Parts: sequence; structure tokens; C-alpha cells
Amino acid sequence: MNPATLLRSQRIFRALLRVLPFDFQTNYGHEMEGVFHEQEREIRERGGPMDFLKLWGETIAGIFRTAPSEHWEILKQDLAYGLRMMRKNVGFTVIGVLTLGLGIGANTAIFSVVHAVLLRPLPYPEGDRLVFIRQQAQKLGISDIAFSVHEIEDYRGQNQSLSGLVEYHTMSFILYGHGDPDRIRTAVVSANYFDLFKVQPLLGRAFLAEDDKLGAPAVLILSYEYWKNKFGADPGIVGKTFELNDRVHTVVGVLPPVPQYPVESDVYMPTSACPFRSGKAFIDNRDARLMRAFGRLKPGVTLSQARADLATIAGRLKSEYPKSYPDNMGYAAVSSPLQEELTHGARPTLLVLLAAAVFVLLIACANVANLTLARMSRRERELAVRTALGAGRSRLLRQLLTESFLMALVGGALGLVLAYSSLELLTEFAARLTPRAREINIDASVLGFTLLAALGTSIIFGTISAVFTRANLSSSLKEGSTGAGAGQSKNRVRSALIVSQVAFSFMLLIGAGLMLRSLIKMLRVDAGFVPQRVLAMRTTISFSKYAKQEQLVEVIKKILDRVQAEPGVISAAMSSSYPLDSETISVGPNSGSFKIQGRELAPGEAPPVGSYSLISPAYFRTLGIPLKEGREFTEADGGKGRIVAMINEAMKRRFWPNEDPIGRSISYDDGATWATIVGIAGDVREFGLDRPALPEIYIPHAQIAAPSTLSARTIADPRTMGEAIVRAVHEVDAQIAVTHVVTLEQARAESTTSPRVTASLLGIFGGLALVIAAAGIGGIMALAVSQRVREIGIRIALGAQPSKILGMILGQGLLLAALGVGIGLAGALAVTGLVKSLLFDVTPTDPVTFLGVALALVAAAILASYLPARRAAAIDPIEALRTE
Amino acid sequence: MSHHRETGHEEEQHPLTTAMFHVLLTLANEEMHGYAILKEVEKRTAGKVRLSAGTLYGIIKRLNGEGWIVESRKRPVAGLDDERRRYYGLTELGRRVAVAEARRLEELLETARSKKLFAKPEPA
Repeated sequence: MNPATLLRSQRIFRALLRVLPFDFQTNYGHEMEGVFHEQEREIRERGGPMDFLKLWGETIAGIFRTAPSEHWEILKQDLAYGLRMMRKNVGFTVIGVLTLGLGIGANTAIFSVVHAVLLRPLPYPEGDRLVFIRQQAQKLGISDIAFSVHEIEDYRGQNQSLSGLVEYHTMSFILYGHGDPDRIRTAVVSANYFDLFKVQPLLGRAFLAEDDKLGAPAVLILSYEYWKNKFGADPGIVGKTFELNDRVHTVVGVLPPVPQYPVESDVYMPTSACPFRSGKAFIDNRDARLMRAFGRLKPGVTLSQARADLATIAGRLKSEYPKSYPDNMGYAAVSSPLQEELTHGARPTLLVLLAAAVFVLLIACANVANLTLARMSRRERELAVRTALGAGRSRLLRQLLTESFLMALVGGALGLVLAYSSLELLTEFAARLTPRAREINIDASVLGFTLLAALGTSIIFGTISAVFTRANLSSSLKEGSTGAGAGQSKNRVRSALIVSQVAFSFMLLIGAGLMLRSLIKMLRVDAGFVPQRVLAMRTTISFSKYAKQEQLVEVIKKILDRVQAEPGVISAAMSSSYPLDSETISVGPNSGSFKIQGRELAPGEAPPVGSYSLISPAYFRTLGIPLKEGREFTEADGGKGRIVAMINEAMKRRFWPNEDPIGRSISYDDGATWATIVGIAGDVREFGLDRPALPEIYIPHAQIAAPSTLSARTIADPRTMGEAIVRAVHEVDAQIAVTHVVTLEQARAESTTSPRVTASLLGIFGGLALVIAAAGIGGIMALAVSQRVREIGIRIALGAQPSKILGMILGQGLLLAALGVGIGLAGALAVTGLVKSLLFDVTPTDPVTFLGVALALVAAAILASYLPARRAAAIDPIEALRTE
Repeated sequence: MSHHRETGHEEEQHPLTTAMFHVLLTLANEEMHGYAILKEVEKRTAGKVRLSAGTLYGIIKRLNGEGWIVESRKRPVAGLDDERRRYYGLTELGRRVAVAEARRLEELLETARSKKLFAKPEPA
């Protein structure tokens, strides 16, 4: 064998040895090499190539057979030793486990949400191929226009990029025969809707093409939640019948738990079941838009190809039907991945919370590393003795890491418990941000994440403590227990850890502070109405029973008269929605363009756009919306009476900035009828306290269709009036479904839940960080004082005033805090852009917040250093010099 | 909480693997270095028990840890020796363990004999 081959085989053998524990290598590596060398030599002298192969095979197998048991032995020893140490230092263990548990728990909880909502693919087969399609009037700023039947058919028939296109719209039916009449949120969908989503019903079947034919027997499919909550997951539900409005419907299937978009529905019906959707006039009218559209990309087609395809069709429609798609509206058709639609509302909040949780964990790591370092200085002699007795350094490192991991593992288990117990609350919170919230759970990936977090954590804090312990080991035997040199360098490490904790705390607190400030501003916003003592409820009136507009107007008048006659009711009104209604917020404004009489649009100029609301006469009075000019509606308005409208101030500012709009006429049916503006109301924040009022057109309910909410202003607490008002409505017609009874104060509070929870979570994280950082400062100052007893004693003996000593220690604590704040400031300025989208009326660099947080941290630092400082000032010089 | 303490001889608590027993036997009469042990075991068992560097030193570490063998301080004359080599010898405890194991095997063998296990099966 030539020398090069020999060298190579030696090198390979040495590399193999690395599989074994370090101590084993040190102890036997040389000998093993020797043995292998001799085995090789023997074969070289009298053997063949096969013998070489055999030798290598046996050698590799032998090492790999020996290594696991050797590692396991060491792990067993280290674990036993670690457990003994944990039991011996209960205080340290408890604090460490608690800190890590909170850090890991926060991360596990937030990660379980992030994982379910943002990371996991949609729970539909090939869900990433599903797209949501919308029409837009880009020049009018309307990003989501519903589809008419013609449009659905055009896009379905002409596209080249989708393997299917289905429609969807919602309605409210009334369910009879199960207690009080109940409003059923119904989604009306194409027969192949579930095939497109590739959803297999849990029970029964999906819709068939026959179900969709006009005159087919009425069928419905229940959503999983409705089936579970209302029917106790009755396994025999398929085949049962429901009386909805004037028809009997047969249940043919139950859906599995899938996210529902754009809104949650109780039941699904085929399009033929909707009397509006199946009316001939509606079907023939290209401009009667009601439906949403979903598609599935054909295999191999990319999103941008589909977008181009839709744009081509939109262009074709534009030139074919210029009346429906005038140039000045900027007509377009766009598609976006369903995954994005379902999650974009949650993304910024979740990412901010995840970042905050990671900060908490980093702070926890720094804290435990600090505690470990403090404990190490007490264990230093033990470790030094073990080194002297021949324990390899890496063997000690390994043992320290095992101890760290043990603690992180226990912390991780605690964190898991914490995460698990917060899951329900978090799910409820996330449900306001995304329809995917119900998918949140702690599954194998989340468990894996927790384990990784624990492992990562233990590596971070274990390495920090081990490395700096190692650096000092050699000196500690020589120096004695209070060795100054090593102690100082370690204090520097500990100070650096404290500074980093303060910096991260600062950043967290800035996040919390900004959210809090923006929440306070939001709560102080004048929403434009008086929410106190108003009760609102959804009143679903059967469109089958009151098919004619006059009938509807009549029954509404009866209801309002009856409710108003109820003792304790000041006024009552009906409207299409009430301000800050969660359902209205999720659906969005009902925007449309209109014409202003006497104003011609320049070619290409966009027509004015407003959001429409239907109201009954006493609406403004009931909700406490101020009338700014003109008059309110009366019963003489609408219907066969005058055609009138009211607008809000935002509308006036936008379209009549220098004129009086009262007496002017507008048309929202392209000039067919003209409504005279009779009054101007104050602006109302309908769609969120953080969203300014849109230009709004109010139309008397008698003029168009059925408003669906009833509100009543009461003398006493409105909550005590609910039953009486519902009874009053039912006296007029017992078949009206009255649901979702809330006070406007509740609705207003509910509309701020999301920022409130975000602020609270960040607040909890920030508060935790503050406490940990303050405890860290207090701890290190106490240690510094105890290490410097002698020096301080001498200072006092030489005449230093106790107040000066006090100031000196406080100053040092303050210095740590100031350094941390400085670094945190830089960090915060770098990352606050992240929270920008969550803020209302507060800039990400809000000086008040920055100053407040800085002051809070400095105050906490002073407070934390005060005790050790006082102890230092009270040192008796004689005592101090004697004990040393 | 009550503590249950196992009683009995150390020899009985640690079952020996065949390979371990072979190493003990090899060191019964003289001190040897690793490679010699490996060769000797292989020769004596006619290649039926083959140790490699990894398995051998795993065994040596265990036997050493149990106090059954010990590293010898005596070394052969310088010059004849490879520096990397260490020599191992049986301790008194190790000898007792080996004897106990041999007895155990002997008893087993006796039992097998008394059951006429080695007798040729009767032709059918």
C-alpha cells in the first residue's frame, strides 16, 4: 500500500472516531487507531482486496454499534446529575422553568395560530389552485363588484384558464318549526360548487345538476357548525325536512368543517332555490349584480396567465356592452388566490404577535442565561475540580447543555400547558381576523415547534453560560471563590445580557404602547351616533310572504308603530344595517355610482360614487345621528310619494363643497328616476371606528326594498327591553325571525375587539419583559454590591457619604437601563414599520409612546437598583473589612 | 416512600455478553494490548468471534468501568513496544466474575447432558 493510501485510510478512520463521545475518543482513540493500523498491516502482508473490504465493514459497524450506547450512558449520567442539581436549587429551577415556560408558551400559542392560518395549505385538495374572482371599477375606487347572471355565464364560458367557475351569494331565510322563527344564513351556490372546492360531504351528498333546475325539489346542505351546534351532530339528519319561508327543503348532506368565505353560512342551497336569482327579469339584466365567483386554475396554468385571461374577457365585455361598462368606471376583472383572501386580514397582526413572542423568548433566554451564570459562579469550584480530575472541557460543556436542555424541556412542557389553555381564547380572537380560525389546534407540527423552541432556547442560554463558565474555569481554582478578575469579565457578560433584555423589552413595550395609544384614540373617536341606550336586532321578514313592496312597507309601518307604542321606547326605526354591525363590516359598503342632475361628466371622467343605506323615517333620531341641514324623511316620502334622498356631510364635502345640495337631484338608476336631496346628516363611522365615514346616500325604505334591522332608543337600560320588543314584533307577525339582539354599545365594543386583544397581548408580553428586565437589573446590582462590599467599605471608611454610595449604585443600574433603551430605540425605529398597518391615528414613531416607555424602563431600573443601593449605603466599613 | 435495595453478588447483576467473556478469558493468564486480545479471541474461536476496534474498546471501557480489568503499569522493554499500546490485565474481581460465569455455563452444560440433549436422536 502506498503512503498516500495509508494516510487517507488513517484520516477516514479518525473521522469515524468522531462518532464516539469525546471522552471515549480521548481515552481510546489512539489505541483504536493502533489496532486498526495493525489489522491493516496484516491484511497487506497476507490478504486480498476482499479482506480490506471486510475489515472496513467490520470496523464501521463496530464503531456505529458502540457509539449509541456510549452516548446514551453519558446522557443518562448527565440527566441524572442535572435532575439532582435542579432538585438541589429549587428556587433557581422554578424561576428558570417559569421564565422559559412563559416564553415558550407564548411562542407555541402564537405559532399554533400562525401555523393554522398562514402556513398550512387550505383544507381543500389542491387548495392553492383556488381563486376568488372579482370585478372592479378601478377609476371609482370600487374594488369588489358583484356579478350578474350574464357576467357569470360570460366568464364561465369564455375563460381558457379555469377548470371551473362557480357562483355564490347569501340570503336570509326563516326557519319555522324549531322554536321561534330563526334566521338562517344561507349561501346560494352553483350545483358544482363543492366539486370545484373538491369538498366531500361528511354525510349525504353534494348538489347534483338536477337540484339546480327550476322547479326541482328544494334541497339543502348544512354547514358543519350549524349541524353540530343546532342539531347536536345528529347522524340521521340527512333526509329530514326544514320549513324555510314558504317551502319545505330536504337535507341532502352535511359539510365537513371547512373555512367559509366571504361569510359564514348555516346552510347551502342551489341557485334555483333563490327566488331573486331565478327570476327572469333578474337573469336577463346584465346590471343586476348579486353574486360572487370562485374558480379553480386548470393544471399548469399560472395565476398571472389566469389574470391575463380574465382581463381579455373584461376587455371583450367592455367593447360589447359599453352601456354596462362605461369607459369612465375603469372596469376590470381580477383574481387572487383564495388562500390570500382567507388570510390577508390576519397576516399583519399575527406577524406582529409572533415577533413579540420571539422577543419574549429571547428575553427569557437572556434571563435564564444570567441566572445560570450566577449559579455557575457558585458551582465554579465544583466544575474546576472536575476539570482538574480529568473531565474534558467539552464533556463539561455537554453536561451543562444537557442541564439547560432539561430545564428548557420542563419549561417547554409548561409552555405547552399554557398554550393549550389559551387556545380557545386565541381561536375566538383569530376568528375576527380570518375564517380559518377553527383550524387552529396543537398538532404534531406545533409540538415539533415547541420541541425546537426548547432545544433552541437551551442551546442559546446553555452556550452563553457554558462558554463564559469555561473561560473562567482555569482561573477560579487559583483565585478563590470571589476572584475579582474572572468575576469582572463575567459581570460584563451579565451586564450585556441585561442590556439586551432591556433593549428587547423596550421594543416590546413600544409595540404595546403604540397599540394602546391607537386603541385609546379609537375609543375616543366620535363615531357620529349616540350608542347609549339603543337596542338593535336583525329582523328577517319573509320575502315570500311579503312579495310586494307595498305589503312590505305596510308591515314595517305596523312593526314600527307597535314597537314605538311599547312603554319605555322613545323611538324606533328600521334600516338596512346599523353602524359598526360586525356583519356589515365583514361584507363592506354597498357602493354604487350615481348621477348629479345638471352635471355632465367630461369624457373619461369617473362618475360620483356613494354608499347606500335604506332607512325608515325615525332613523336619525333613534340612533342619535345629528341632522345638519334640511329635514328627515317622513312617511310621505318614498313609495308612491316623492322620490327623495338624504346625504351625509362627507358627501356634501366631496360633491358640493361650495354649494347647498338641498333641493338638488341625484339618480342612482342612470337617470330613470331622480331623487331630491332633502336633508344632510352628520357623518357616521359605519365600518369601523378607525375608518372615516364614506360619502353616504340615505334612501327611504319605502322606495326600494326591505331593511333588515330594527333599532329602538329606550328610556332605561336597553338590555331590559329586548324581550318586550321581540314580543311586540311577533305580535305583528309571529313569523318574523328576530335574531342577534345587541345594544349599540356592545356592537361598538365588539368592533374594537381585535385591536383590544392585540394591545392586551402585546401589553402582557411587554409587562412580562419589563418585570424580567427589572428583576435582572436588581439581581446584577445586588451581586455587584456583594462582590464589592470590601471596596465600598473602604470608600465609606475614607469618608464617602452614604448618599454618594447610593447614587453610585443607582447610577450603575441606570447606566444599564440607558444603554438598553438606546439600543432598543434603534431596534424599535427599525421594526415599528411592521405595526404601521395596525395603528390608528398614531405614527409608528409616536414621540409620546417612545418617551413614556423610556421613562417607564428607567423608573423600573431605578426601582430595581434601589434595594441593593440602599444595602450598599448601609455597609458598615469595619464589618466589611473584617469579613473579607 | 420505601427504598428497595437489591441484594446479591455483583457478579449476578451484570450478565456478560459472549464477547466480554472472551476478553476476560483472554486476559486470564497474561496481560495483553488491544490488538493482541483481538487476535487471540479470533484465533481461539477459529474466527467465530471477531472483534473490531470499535467493539473491542467498547468492551474494554465497560470491563474497566466495572473494575474487572485494569490497565497494567508494566510495559515491555522499550523499543519492542508501540507507544500507543496499553496493556490490560484481569483484576481479582474480574477473575471471580469469569469463574462465576464459567461455573454458570458448566451447570448449564450439566443440565443439558442430564437431559441427554447430546444423544443422537433415535432413527424414526
